[in-house]
Amino acid sequence: MRRPATLRRMLAVARAEWRHNYRDARSLAIVIALPVFLLLIYGYGINLDLRDLPFAVQDLDRTEQSADFVNRLVRSGYFTLARAIQDTREIDSVIEVGAVRFVLVIPHGFGGDLASGRPAQVQVVLDGGDSATASVALGYLQALVGDHSIHLARRWAMRHGLPASAVEPALRVVPRVLYNPELRSVNFIVPGLIAVILTLLAALLTSGCIVREREGGSFEALAASPIAPIEIVLGKLLPYAVISFVDIVLCMVVGRLLFGVAPMGDKALLLGLSLIYLIASLSIGLLVSSLARSHQVATLIAFLATVLPSLLVSGFAFPVRSMPVALQAIAQIIPATHFLIIIRAIYLKGAGVSAFAPRVAALAAMALALVLLTVRTFRKRLE
Amino acid sequence: MHDLAIRTEDLTKSFGEIRALAGLDLEVARGEIFGLVGPDGAGKTTTMRLLSGLLRPDAGRAEVAGLDVVERTEDVRRLLGYLPQTFAMLHELTVAENIEYFADLYCIPRGQFAQRSDELLSATGLTEFTGRRADALSGGMGQKLALICSLIHRPQVLLLDEPTRGVDPVSRRDLWRIVYGLPAEDVTVLISTPYADEAERCNRLGVLVDGILQTVGTPQDLVARQTSRPIELQATEQRLARNALEKLGGVETVAVVGQALRITVRRDGPGPEEVLKALDGAGVEATEAHWAQPRLADALLAIAERCGKDG
Repeated sequence: MRRPATLRRMLAVARAEWRHNYRDARSLAIVIALPVFLLLIYGYGINLDLRDLPFAVQDLDRTEQSADFVNRLVRSGYFTLARAIQDTREIDSVIEVGAVRFVLVIPHGFGGDLASGRPAQVQVVLDGGDSATASVALGYLQALVGDHSIHLARRWAMRHGLPASAVEPALRVVPRVLYNPELRSVNFIVPGLIAVILTLLAALLTSGCIVREREGGSFEALAASPIAPIEIVLGKLLPYAVISFVDIVLCMVVGRLLFGVAPMGDKALLLGLSLIYLIASLSIGLLVSSLARSHQVATLIAFLATVLPSLLVSGFAFPVRSMPVALQAIAQIIPATHFLIIIRAIYLKGAGVSAFAPRVAALAAMALALVLLTVRTFRKRLE
Repeated sequence: MHDLAIRTEDLTKSFGEIRALAGLDLEVARGEIFGLVGPDGAGKTTTMRLLSGLLRPDAGRAEVAGLDVVERTEDVRRLLGYLPQTFAMLHELTVAENIEYFADLYCIPRGQFAQRSDELLSATGLTEFTGRRADALSGGMGQKLALICSLIHRPQVLLLDEPTRGVDPVSRRDLWRIVYGLPAEDVTVLISTPYADEAERCNRLGVLVDGILQTVGTPQDLVARQTSRPIELQATEQRLARNALEKLGGVETVAVVGQALRITVRRDGPGPEEVLKALDGAGVEATEAHWAQPRLADALLAIAERCGKDG
């Protein structure tokens, strides 16, 4: 007798919540449009690949060799020649106004030195204001200079009748990149983004659902009925688990269609594990919603408790291993940290459960603990 | 089984510094329509919420149908129907969906549900509006829906917290017609109201002021216990007359009733002639002063005023 009653009350809450979302245009917009919108904005916005970085050249040499060198940089596709500078005093100003990210200074005698087989020098003036871009640009630049000098050396050797091996560098790195051979950052970002978007959405969806009833007055009648807290909590979770599950499918489809990023591994496994992660995230929102006194406060706290850590501490943007020890400890108790590892492993490496079994266990334990905590702290009272 | 549907003993509740209810001793017999009357902030809603387990008492105890509300909250809730003061229906759901929702919360067997629902819908005249969303209902229709939802599970005890606040007179009459029929179904009703004309319809009344139960009795008892007597008079300048009357010795309450002024005076206070004379002396024009029939409204006002002066 007890079980059907529990199921019936739980489904009554779930159905009412479902109808609320279905009929409330604003809720529906959040559910459908927000994940796609966020994936578009961030997918296109966050791009760690270097493309078309503007630079300026002060060519004091004006020889065939100097022009050849500049051409090589431009042909790489990483850099765009934005302007040529005549006066040394212009260097500071073009960087200051942000017209270019670096200035390449080719000194007198560059071509002459190269032609006669002497080492030549070029100067790079970098905008360190954006240190991330500057260091990436410098890395690319050094690699290009290295390539170019080998190319020049070979030509010099051929002209002087020497074997090419005479001028090869002693050591060379031959990289072979696994999982993401083109090193496209979008391959790495999209799975992480899906995790962050789901976190944001889950928090937004459930953070309102109990406090809204408190503010609207319907909580009083619900609380005065014989329904048990676990029936309310499960009833509220159910429709949002379905909704956010649809959203993860939506995100995966958009990731595939617009960014060409699809999971290498088992999609069904990913969806199944996502569900565990969603229950954990939805429970955080629900917990906040049952404790908060106003809708705004609930949304804010849910945001601070889920989105911020999942963006900053989880390893989405910065690797967990390079964080201070205290933050690393915090990262371990954030569901997003574990889910990020799982989703990236499935997306990029096509890994199976055995590769991240401890993460799955941690995630499942957190989901269960959060649901239980929400049930235990739920009060069918008005104070 | 229990002759007392509701019993409270020294029930006390404070919110911070504010004492909402101070040692309430209340007994409501089975099958009664018991009215809780009193001004806003008197403790009526707090009493209802304590009885439904939505608040925990600081001291004292409350029983519904012989069950302790704190110890057996969920059992009490099964027996209880509760219509809160604020509109507690789910806004986006239709009338029919709201009724179904509450039927599910109370696990009404499906077989009984349809019949019970139809019966209540036709009694409230909402049958044609089952497809309308709750947030599109008028105040009166909304309260009728709330009443249906609080009755869907055939409660033994029904708590109605100012169900007619903001409701048009016709809907008020409809709501009361249903409430009147409840004792015949063995439902005990505790209803709170700020209106004296509604209080008159209850079997018994408890007058609550500042968290203290001032008096309990039938509406007739309360009128009979009045120590002061009412006088009605006409005044062209009602405001001036009020001010003058409030300062007059022996006058307990002053109220405007339609075109007339209605005052109550103590037994040793002035009669109609003396009141006119006193007003004349104060330069206020007044006529037609006469003894009037005592009413419940006078009694309720007098109790509230007396408490105001004491406090």
